[in-house]
Amino acid sequence: MSLITPELKARFDAVVARYPKGQEQSAVIPLLHAMQELGGGHLTQEHQQAVADFLNLPMSKVHEVTTFYTMFSLKPRGRQHLSVCRTLPCALCGSEDVTKALSARLGVGPGEVTADGEFSYEEVECLAQCHLGPVLQVGDTVYGDLTPDSTRSLIDTLSKKGRP
Amino acid sequence: MEACPLYLTKNFKNPAALTFDGYVASGGYVALKKALSMQPQEIIDLVKAGNLRGRGGAGFPAGVKWGFLGKTEGPKYLCVNADEGEPGTVKDGPLMEFDPHQMIEGIAIACFALGIKWCYIYIRGEFYKAHRIVQKAVDEAYAKGVLGPKVMGSGFQLDVALHPGGGAYICGEETGLLSSLEGKKGFPKLKPPFPALKGLYGAPTIVNNVETLACVPHIINLGAEAWNALGTEKNGGTKMYNVCGHVMKPGYYETRHSITLRELIYDVCGGMKPGRTLKGVVPGGSSSPILLPSEIDVRMDFDSLGKAGTMLGSAAVIVMDDRTSIVRALDNLLHFYSHESCGQCTPCREGTHWLYLISQRIVNGEGKAGDVDRMLDICNNMVGNTICVLADAAALPTQSYIKKYRAEFDAYVLDGGRVGLLGNREEKAAAHA
Ligand SMILES: Cc1cc2nc3c(=O)[nH]c(=O)nc-3n(C[C@H](O)[C@H](O)[C@H](O)COP(=O)(O)O)c2cc1C
Ligand code: SF4
Ligand code: FES
Repeated sequence: MSLITPELKARFDAVVARYPKGQEQSAVIPLLHAMQELGGGHLTQEHQQAVADFLNLPMSKVHEVTTFYTMFSLKPRGRQHLSVCRTLPCALCGSEDVTKALSARLGVGPGEVTADGEFSYEEVECLAQCHLGPVLQVGDTVYGDLTPDSTRSLIDTLSKKGRP
Repeated sequence: MEACPLYLTKNFKNPAALTFDGYVASGGYVALKKALSMQPQEIIDLVKAGNLRGRGGAGFPAGVKWGFLGKTEGPKYLCVNADEGEPGTVKDGPLMEFDPHQMIEGIAIACFALGIKWCYIYIRGEFYKAHRIVQKAVDEAYAKGVLGPKVMGSGFQLDVALHPGGGAYICGEETGLLSSLEGKKGFPKLKPPFPALKGLYGAPTIVNNVETLACVPHIINLGAEAWNALGTEKNGGTKMYNVCGHVMKPGYYETRHSITLRELIYDVCGGMKPGRTLKGVVPGGSSSPILLPSEIDVRMDFDSLGKAGTMLGSAAVIVMDDRTSIVRALDNLLHFYSHESCGQCTPCREGTHWLYLISQRIVNGEGKAGDVDRMLDICNNMVGNTICVLADAAALPTQSYIKKYRAEFDAYVLDGGRVGLLGNREEKAAAHA
C-alpha cells in the first residue's frame, strides 16, 4: 500500500466513515475519483489495487466499477482533459462543428493525447448545461455557447494556462 | 400572462444566500423550525395535500411515496437524487449552486417527518462546482446546529453526506442509484420490492429529486392551499423548466404549472430565431415523445402532458426549428440510449443497439426498404419488457418521431441520404461575429 501515504490514509478514512460499518464498499467511487486525480487523470492498475486493498475488496469489484463509469479512465489523458457534449440539445446548436474544430486544432482524435501531453478530449453525453450549448467542460469549468472560432481561441487560452 | 412569484429561484440573484446567515436573512430555516413543532404525520399530510409531484421525472406524489416508507426500528435512509442527466435538463444543478440551504432545509424537514437519521446526496460526478458549494453549505449547517445530533436544538438527529457518481445516466434511475451508492455497477433492480421497503443496504429508503425536496419548505411556509393555487389540479406549486435548442432565450425558468408550452416558448423564451418556424418540441427531456407545432397549447403539468400522449418528465423543453432534420435528431438520441443502456435486459441492450445501427444506416444513406418499420417493430418489443424504463424511454420517443414525421423518414431512406441539418451553425457563428 505504498501509494497510500499517512496523509492520504487519513483522507480515505474520513470518506469511509461516511458509510455504515460493513458498507465500506460504498466508498469505492469517491476513492477512485481521488486516486485518479492523484494519478494525473487516469487510473493505473496500481491505483486500482491500492483502492481494492484499502477497502478489502477483490480487484474484480474495483475493476467492475472503473469499467462501468465513464469518468474513470484506464488510459492516460492530457494534463487538460476536455469533455465535449454531443447530445441533442448541444447538437441542435452546432456541437458537431465545435468538435470538428477542436479535433483539428488539437490534431488528435477522441481519446488521444497531444504530443506535448497537454490535451486530450472526448465526446460525452449531456452535461446538464444544455441551455448554454454547445458546451465543453475542463475540470470544474464549463464553457458554453461555443462556435468553431471560439473553441479555437479557447484552446489558445488554455494552452497558455498550461505553460507556467 | 400573470407574473409568477418566485420561490425556488428567489435566491438565484442573492449570493448572500449561499451562507447560513444570508439564507436565514432571506427567510430561510423558518419552515424547518415550524416543522419541528409539528407532528411528523401532519407534515406528510400537508405535503400530500399540497400535491407535490416528484420532480425527477415520474411525477409520483411525494407525500404518498413518503407514506409507503417501511416501519422499522433499524436504519432508514433518504437518498437525494442529484444525478441530473436526462438530456435537456438543467434545474437541480442551479438549485444546488445558487441555493444549497434550500435543499438542505427540505431534506431536514423530510427526514424529520419520516424519522430518518441518515441522508445521502447522490450528486452527479461531473458537478464539481455544485458539489463544492453543497459540501460547504452542509458543513456550515452542521456548525450552526441545523444538522447533527440536535437539529435546531430539538431532539431530532440528522446526518447528511455527499456521494459523487462516476458518470452513468442509468444511476439517475432510483434503483440504479442505490446500487451505485453501494459501490457497485449502477444496475437497476426489479420493482417490487420498492426502495421504500427495501432500498439502500436493504433498508427502507426514500429517493427524492433535488427539486422535489427544495419545494418542501415552501409548502410548509405557504400551506397546502396557497401552494396548490400556484399550480393546476393535482399539480401543486411552481415548477422549474429548462428550455433549450432553437429559441431566442434558452435557459431555466421557474413558473406556474399552468403555463402552456406555447407561452413558455413564445412569451418566456422570446420565441423562435428570426425567420424560423417551429418544427417540433420535446416537452419533458429526451425520453418524452415529441409534439408537433399544432400540439403546443398544452399546460405544462404532469397530467395535461400525459393526456397529450407525452410527459412532463424532467420538464426539459427541447425546441427544434424548421431546418432541423428529425431523422438526425432521433439518431443522436439513439446513440445516447444505446450508450447508456446498462445491458442487463436483452430487449433494452439489443433493442437500443439495433435501433441505433439501423438509424445510422439511414442517416448514412444506406437505408433499406422496410428499415423504418423495422425500427417500429423493435420498439414494440422493448416497451414494458425490462427491469427499468430506460427501454421505454428510448422506444416511446422513437415511435413518436417516426409516427409524426414519417414522410421525412421515408424520404431519407428513398433519397439515399439527403443530409439534413442538425445544428444551426451559421446562426451561432453570426451571434459571435
Ligand atoms: C433512465 C432513468 C433516468 C433517471 N434519471 C433521473 C435523474 O437524473 N434525476 C432524478 O431525480 N430522477 C431520475 N429518474 C427518476 C428516478 O428513478 C426517480 O423516479 C426519482 O429520483 C424519484 O424522485 P421524485 O419522486 O422526487 O421525482 C430517472 C429514471 C430513469 C428510468
Ligand atoms: S431496461 Fe435497460 S437500462 Fe434498464 S435495467 Fe434493463 S438493460 Fe439496464
Ligand atoms: S446536451 Fe449538451 S449539456 Fe445537455
